[in-house]
Amino acid sequence: MSVKYGILGLLAQQPLHGYEVKTRFESLFGGTWEVNFGQVYTTLQRLERDGLVEPADGRGDRAKLTYRLTGAGRAALERWLAQPEAEPQQLREEIHLKLLLTGRLANGNLPGLLAGQRRVYLQRLKDLAALERRARQDGRGDLVLVIKSAMLHTEADLKWVDVCEDELGEHGDNADSPKGGPGSEAAHRID
Amino acid sequence: MKPLIALTDVSRTYQAGPALCGVSLTVQPGEFVAVMGPSGSGKSTLLNLIAGLDRPSGGTVVVDGVDLATLGEAALARFRRRRVGFVFQFFNLLGSLTVAGNIGIPAQLAGVKPRIAAQRVQKLLDQLDLVGVADQFPARLSGGERQRVAVARALVNRPALLLADEPTGALDSRAGDQVMELLAGLHRGGQTIVLVTHDAKLAATAADRVVTLRDGRVLDDAPLATASGQSASALLRIHGPQREATP
Repeated sequence: MSVKYGILGLLAQQPLHGYEVKTRFESLFGGTWEVNFGQVYTTLQRLERDGLVEPADGRGDRAKLTYRLTGAGRAALERWLAQPEAEPQQLREEIHLKLLLTGRLANGNLPGLLAGQRRVYLQRLKDLAALERRARQDGRGDLVLVIKSAMLHTEADLKWVDVCEDELGEHGDNADSPKGGPGSEAAHRID
Repeated sequence: MKPLIALTDVSRTYQAGPALCGVSLTVQPGEFVAVMGPSGSGKSTLLNLIAGLDRPSGGTVVVDGVDLATLGEAALARFRRRRVGFVFQFFNLLGSLTVAGNIGIPAQLAGVKPRIAAQRVQKLLDQLDLVGVADQFPARLSGGERQRVAVARALVNRPALLLADEPTGALDSRAGDQVMELLAGLHRGGQTIVLVTHDAKLAATAADRVVTLRDGRVLDDAPLATASGQSASALLRIHGPQREATP
């Protein structure tokens, strides 16, 4: 996701100066996305360079400069909003790397890794549920929807741990040639 | 503290094969424990053994200080009525009795004096927001209301232990949430609860401990910290921490 379009979306509602962009950006996400002022500032400069935003009232004190969307900026925002998301699936969590490496190490403890991960996901579900309740109390129905996305992803993560454990249970005897390792890939190709 | 439930090396084998193998588990008074696992993992067997609805093939089951193996059938039935409350997926209400009548049955069966029983029923009707439907028959109620009646019925004998087996399984998500809020409220009031579910969200949200069963064994027994006071950004990042590429 992109700070760029976040800023364009905020400026589409009304002209703002840099600091207002930062605080509104963070409040839009209910504090789940913290941006630093430098990031907002350099993004605004690039957007201005590309003709997507412009100063609302001439050039003055840089810190107080108010920006507004240009026609090109609005068009870019609308194009972006109209596109469904088809980015590659992102598995950013390091657990995937840990899983691949643990299966290849002589003293690797895959069951232990998975058990620890299950606890993290269970606790995360509990914490997200509390966050959802708070968002609801604050009247942030839109944020509730975002948090529900996070909860469903966490439920999927838990199912994934189950699947890993099932696979390990079935293939547990040959722990030194993990399923999906180089050897089994070669075997699959010969098949 | 003396545990309310103490299972030691409990096994249960049916003709089809083992359902539980060497399960040891203790539950302290006031805990809210969720037992999670896929179907066939042994969670309902575990619940039935704790409830005294079934007897183990091996090991001991001690509930509220009583070794259930020492009880004959009649004593076990008395124990169940007085010390354990049940909530099931399908509410198992009697269609020929009103809401108040259904709630009162276990008290009647346990030989509670009618005046005392009536007081308890009235209190539960208030507590569970059922006063308006007290004289209705179950067929007229929504699923959520029926389950609230079932919870009230489970509590009328003030059981030390409340057992719930997929209590939201037959409800839509809104009614399910309300039933879970009800259980959470009872827990805050000190009620010990064991919840059996295959639903991770339910388990993690409501319970302060999640026991995961797999193939009749305890795969994990995880205490959960109370969720409170964490900042949103400590829980959830909508964007990863890395810098954005130059547009």
